[in-house]
Amino acid sequence: MDKPILMGAVLYNPKVSVIWDIISAFFQDNGCPIDTVFYTNYELQVEALLKGHIDIAWNSPLAWLDAQRQSGSTCRAIAMRDTDRERVSYLITKTQGRIKTVEDLRGKTVAVGAKDSPQATLIPLGLLQRQGLQPGKDVQVRRFDLMVGKHGDHIGGELEAFKCLASGEADASALVDLNWQTWTQDGTINPGEYAILATTAPFDHCCFTVRADFPPEREQQFLRVLFSMHYDNPKHREMMDLEGLKAWVPGRTSGYGLLHEAVEKQHFFAGTTP
Amino acid sequence: MNMERYTWTLRVSTACKDRATVFVRQHQFPVGAPVQFDAAYDAITALEYVLGAIGADVVNGFRALARKRRVEVDHVEAVIEGALNNPLTYLGVVGESGHPGLEQVSVKVYVASLAAEAEIQRVWQEMLDKSPLVRTFQPAIRFELSLQVVL
Repeated sequence: MDKPILMGAVLYNPKVSVIWDIISAFFQDNGCPIDTVFYTNYELQVEALLKGHIDIAWNSPLAWLDAQRQSGSTCRAIAMRDTDRERVSYLITKTQGRIKTVEDLRGKTVAVGAKDSPQATLIPLGLLQRQGLQPGKDVQVRRFDLMVGKHGDHIGGELEAFKCLASGEADASALVDLNWQTWTQDGTINPGEYAILATTAPFDHCCFTVRADFPPEREQQFLRVLFSMHYDNPKHREMMDLEGLKAWVPGRTSGYGLLHEAVEKQHFFAGTTP
Repeated sequence: MNMERYTWTLRVSTACKDRATVFVRQHQFPVGAPVQFDAAYDAITALEYVLGAIGADVVNGFRALARKRRVEVDHVEAVIEGALNNPLTYLGVVGESGHPGLEQVSVKVYVASLAAEAEIQRVWQEMLDKSPLVRTFQPAIRFELSLQVVL
């Protein structure tokens, strides 16, 4: 039997382990066994990747940047979901309120997710910075630090931020486009009462990350099986629906520039050693 | 205690991935994984059997005592909810703390009866005193019991 590839993943809910069980079974059945190692946060997972405890990490975009920062930019993003590409985040506000432009937020309060959430905090605050508003100075920030370390995988922070807007304690809140779509459809957000005030530039989300020394033949073996999943195959669809994708696509790093800019401007990694 | 120690003996055996068979007297039943998080999992887990056993102990114990005390009861039903201290530790999540043991069980019992409330309460208290599983879990974990009489 081939030595299994060691895959790292961060869990915020035990139910997520079910997805990884299905993925592992699929890889096993296709001759590429993987063993999954779960981590409580991305910092531990990045450390494990760089120390060689695992071969591949299913990384958040912030964990990708952290891995690059700590490895001297030698890691590789080898695959991602189609839905990881070209995401955007929104700043939303009440349609009946006085906020009509981003500039109107000067002196007001913006509610965001956890401090390490790319989509609900770092990138939306980066949008404010791009438009000349300094968070904490020109705009008050109400942050909802739910499950810090999970990089916003858990939607709780975004939801609390929205509730803060709804209760009138904030003038705008930040959320990723997928949550806007879901919540305006399931009744969490009444689309008649709230409107998108601003949209960030597109960015990419999670990716499978490997170290520079991950053997190319192992990588090809892994990718061959991964890319053999097809949404039109009912056996594959269950997992793909759970994981929220229609296709696995090659990894790319061009979509992480926006987060990199936000992290730099907000000194996110300041005080941590590379 | 002036008696010989009475014990129960079961035999449990497994020959496949996550399915055990429990042999008890002339009966047998299958048990799945210790715990599962997949709603579509096709077996009953060990944890679910424990929670089910607590509920069965309470409703059957109540019903038997009601009959003995000649309190008329139409129906008894319980809703059991259990929570582990930290289920992520069961999955071996690196960096998690706590343990995978049961931390809290809540048992809500609904009794349909036209009997006087005081009579129902007397049966309820007696059942709690005599229940092997309630007496086992109550001192060990957060164990919440409630009774609601419905007509």
